[in-house]
Amino acid sequence: MEKRNTFSPLTRRGMLAIVAGVAVSSLAITALPATAASDPGVSATEIVLGMQLPQSGAASPGYNKVDDAARAYFDYVNSKGGIYGRKVRLVVKDDQYKAGLTVSSASSLINKDKVFAFFGSIGTQTHISVIGDLNRRGIPDLFVNSGYSGFYTDPTLYPNTFGGLGTYVVESKIVGKYLKDTYPTKKIGILYQTDDFGRNALAGFTSPTSGLTFEAKKTAVNFIAGTQGSVGLASQLTALKANGVEIVIIAAVASATAIAVATAAQLGYKPEKWVVTSVGADATTFQTILGSKGITPAVSAGMLAGIISASHAPSPGEATDEYVTAFKKINDDFNKGPDKRWDNNVLQGMNIAYMATSALFGAGKNLTRKGLVSYIENNGSKIGSAALSPVTFSRTTHEAFNSFWIGAYDGATVLKPISGTRVLYTTDSGTGPVTVSNYVRPALPVDAISKGA
Amino acid sequence: MSKESSYGRKNLLISIVFAALIFFLSIKLDPYNQGQLAVALMMFIGILSIVLLTGASGQISLGQGALMAVGGFAAALSILNLGFSIWFAIIAAVLAALVAGLLLGIAAARLSGPYLAGTTLVIALAIPSLATRFDSVFAGDVGLNIDFGNPPGWLTSLMGEVGYEQWQLLATLPFAALALFFTANILSSRTGRSWRALRDHEIAASLAGVKISETKIFVFVISSGFAGLAGVLYGLRGIVGPSVYPISLSLMLLTGAVLGGIRSIIGALIGAILVVFLPDLIEWLMGFLSPSEQVANYLPAMISSLLLILTVVLNPGGIAAGLHHKKRRH
Repeated sequence: MEKRNTFSPLTRRGMLAIVAGVAVSSLAITALPATAASDPGVSATEIVLGMQLPQSGAASPGYNKVDDAARAYFDYVNSKGGIYGRKVRLVVKDDQYKAGLTVSSASSLINKDKVFAFFGSIGTQTHISVIGDLNRRGIPDLFVNSGYSGFYTDPTLYPNTFGGLGTYVVESKIVGKYLKDTYPTKKIGILYQTDDFGRNALAGFTSPTSGLTFEAKKTAVNFIAGTQGSVGLASQLTALKANGVEIVIIAAVASATAIAVATAAQLGYKPEKWVVTSVGADATTFQTILGSKGITPAVSAGMLAGIISASHAPSPGEATDEYVTAFKKINDDFNKGPDKRWDNNVLQGMNIAYMATSALFGAGKNLTRKGLVSYIENNGSKIGSAALSPVTFSRTTHEAFNSFWIGAYDGATVLKPISGTRVLYTTDSGTGPVTVSNYVRPALPVDAISKGA
Repeated sequence: MSKESSYGRKNLLISIVFAALIFFLSIKLDPYNQGQLAVALMMFIGILSIVLLTGASGQISLGQGALMAVGGFAAALSILNLGFSIWFAIIAAVLAALVAGLLLGIAAARLSGPYLAGTTLVIALAIPSLATRFDSVFAGDVGLNIDFGNPPGWLTSLMGEVGYEQWQLLATLPFAALALFFTANILSSRTGRSWRALRDHEIAASLAGVKISETKIFVFVISSGFAGLAGVLYGLRGIVGPSVYPISLSLMLLTGAVLGGIRSIIGALIGAILVVFLPDLIEWLMGFLSPSEQVANYLPAMISSLLLILTVVLNPGGIAAGLHHKKRRH
């Protein structure tokens, strides 16, 4: 440790080094030509879209498949001639779920890749870090993979941002009302993660519409998002067990669902029902995580069986659904990602690409950013989607979906409608009631490409 | 006295030249690199906090990112709740970081070596979690939206259109130049000498009249002020929240400090430019090789780790010491 003191306060040499350093770095990062005057990212032959998501790091499992799935669908569209002759190119940036990186990579997408629009970005806090800037610049921000209602319910705040998922509030209002009606005498508890997603879901479950009530630390327990792997959730589940909770709701990501169910089994805690919000109920992620703990797929499928969840889309395991069948085929043929196993994440990635294609067709040959946003706002119902919920974009809300159906997993990890026939419930992110919807999804076009008409 | 004031003049001149050069670059660069250079300046300020703390006074901190978070949150809360302008918020942030540094310093004065490293690491891990725990104040995972806003009218009337990235760079620049001036001055002053004495031999320094605990606390306070300043500027890019100041941010600052040269101001600048632009450089190089997504995503972290190991083994003084050494031989 005893080193000669080489500390130099700045000397003339130091100044030279600074000058040289700055000069070299300026050479190394030679400037690109200035931004074009209007609407970059669209030419006679190409439309460039940019996406930000965690491709590496702790938050990436499962989500890192969404971009490959979306690109597969766009490649399929390109193979059929593109959108009015323009091929869609998807540029993807890994932000590792760190908002500091999201800001830099957004600047890269805007200034270097010159994207026409942002598309399908994943993550609530990461997206908050750029949503203001995107809207200030007038860049369309399509089909964000976050159910955080704050992004979408006030279009005057973020006029260019549109959702890609149903909001957490809508889903939990629907599921909460179902539980209250179906199990009026049972003791219902909740395990949630303390972030926007967990709190947004809690707000839905405890809203007057669904009317569930919880008691903190007794029937409502929580954990800091991301810590489920290290803490194992044992103390939380012990509290629920000790307080005689018969039905456990989990409002957390899929990895936490897997850990909670496995830990409960270890503790000998067998609630009558598990209820899991849709983003936490991905069967592939559930089985992969339990697999890493030495639990075989057959056993984990058994643990998943009977779990109640909700969805705005068909279950990926529904072999008779025409959209599922078509998307699965496209995934097999076009997905070049490292993990193309068919699941919820792939279905979601395909569907937002399907919706984007529909909107880009709908906005017409003379494609502009303003034109695209205006088309989506005024023609929400014309935008194609595999979801069983209608697409609800309008001038008053930029939420994507307002309806969910409730199902239970069968022994083969497929979510099936809970009472045999599928019932679609609908509500809003505010105080509106839950009602039954009779929406029927339009049939799949022959070439599996919606033209938004 | 006369020697110190001549250092002061020289340092002032250097800071002005530095500011002029960056200003020149801000006009030359494209928006993306303007933004990246702004981040590099923020990291420069953050690394200077490590140069002062570790390089000059020999105390290790793995938690500078947490002090950046203190600065960021203080600024965000004062902007959103008290209606401060960003300039007053920056002052508030530095003050808050100074207080946090005082508290940390009081604990740190009793610790050294691995114990100090461990304690500061825990703080780096804990502070972002506090944001989630007390979410009614800190907005939890959602974070607090703040930004540099639009460039002021006098600037646009002076320079024509100023882009958002250019404005980030120009707003950061005076603070970076101030930090440079302040660091250079403090290191060439009596205070700086007492810090180095402390680093090189605690007992000898104490015999020579340096008050060990008080000096250690003082170093922590000053260093934290720098970290807080870096933190608020980093947050002003769009958001303050736990995912803006992860543990990896603290480690990135340390990486920059070691690569550039932990005892040198120029080293801090080189280190900051390296950690910010290295991923871009690698991405550009990878453009020719097009490796798979998994390889490409992990490559920047791998290469900077490799550089770190090589630096520690082959050239512990960092790039700045290498430059220095070569020159001296002539």
